[in-house]
Amino acid sequence: MKQLITLKVNSEEHEVAVSPDATLLQVLRNELGLLGTKRGCDTSACGCCTVHMDGKAVYSCVTYAMSVQGSEVTTIEGLGSNGKLDPLQDAFIEAGAVQCGFCTCGMIMSAKQLLGDVKNPDEEQIRHAIAGNLCRCTGYTKIVDAIKIAADS
Amino acid sequence: MVLPELKEFCLPETGSEVISTLDKYGDGSLLVAGGTFIHGLEARGFLSGVEALIDLNQLGLDTIEAVKHGVRVGATTKFAALEQIPGFDTPAFGALRDALSYPPVQIRNQASVGGSIAASCPFFDVPAAFQVLDGSVTVEGGVGSRDLPLEAVYSGLFENSLAADEYIASLLIPEQHARSASAYLKLETNANDLALVGVAVRITVGSALGRKDKIRDARVVLGGGLNQTFVRSPAAESVLDGEVVSDELFEKAAAAIAADIDPISDQRCSAEYRAAIGKVYVRRALQQATQRLK
Repeated sequence: MKQLITLKVNSEEHEVAVSPDATLLQVLRNELGLLGTKRGCDTSACGCCTVHMDGKAVYSCVTYAMSVQGSEVTTIEGLGSNGKLDPLQDAFIEAGAVQCGFCTCGMIMSAKQLLGDVKNPDEEQIRHAIAGNLCRCTGYTKIVDAIKIAADS
Repeated sequence: MVLPELKEFCLPETGSEVISTLDKYGDGSLLVAGGTFIHGLEARGFLSGVEALIDLNQLGLDTIEAVKHGVRVGATTKFAALEQIPGFDTPAFGALRDALSYPPVQIRNQASVGGSIAASCPFFDVPAAFQVLDGSVTVEGGVGSRDLPLEAVYSGLFENSLAADEYIASLLIPEQHARSASAYLKLETNANDLALVGVAVRITVGSALGRKDKIRDARVVLGGGLNQTFVRSPAAESVLDGEVVSDELFEKAAAAIAADIDPISDQRCSAEYRAAIGKVYVRRALQQATQRLK
């Protein structure tokens, strides 16, 4: 049976009816229409579904929506402000770090936590920070470049 | 994650609410703290009868507290918080630092201490470190609370020894000796992979490391499919205890694990390969722990 819960996503409160086993990913995409967060493996292995819960990167595909009540969720749509992209989003464009684009939003959300935790990360720290995000196109080089650009900006 | 029989997602705020919900649903209940391995249990067919998910995160068990003879870590504490453990940067906690370096940031932010133990999955990393540090858990249940060493929690692959109305409330890591050092090593195929082989070791020496320093209280914990659960290797430990640190000794101890393993053969690698790699990793982990004493 579905239950009515309140979720705070990108600073807005939403009342949604969810089944007890609904994941945060399902609610974001299917109920709230936030399609930036992608469904890849659905088993916490690929990182495409990465969002922030209270500022920390999590896999939304293994996060129960019922557990998220009271937390602040941020998705890729919640980055940037006043019509401007987040510096990380700009850097991904500048570095040409996007090919098919399926992993990009998750990559950026993982990188966002890194840049919040570490001011000037080195390459090893960057690669470690995105180890939970798979990319099958770029070979990661341009993604690492983009994160360096954002860190320097 | 499709749970066809699921009726309820419970968010209890007290231990007694947890126990009464466990009583109500019996084997049809599943405790959740981080939730990162539920898909793994589902894929293995363990969750088809789950009627209630019981989320433990409202119980206030996400605490790290220095106690008289060690540190008590609440069951819902996330991996990322473990670096706040007093003494985390010391050689003794090397295995825990090593184990935490493997899971990606998302898992470190989500996976819980209690869940990683209760899952009884020898392919995990962090519980191997808890065990090598002589960790024990406090379990709460209908008949009260009891303490269990970690080896007593694991009753089989994905099976724990807890009664149907019990849950892990906290982990106790005892105070470590100032001249102890530990290490964890894992063979994996990518950053987000379960261990093909995982080994944790701890050695303790008398004073400054030198020719006369004999090892005591050695711990060798084997995981990652070297057995059905995490196991200690008494054979390797007895080779180490009372002897002076040397590469030859570590080689001998590594060979001794053969007496304590019963490796799994699966689609990821054969039992023979696991046995061979297990020996190499025990030797390397002992060398890594020794480096930390210098």
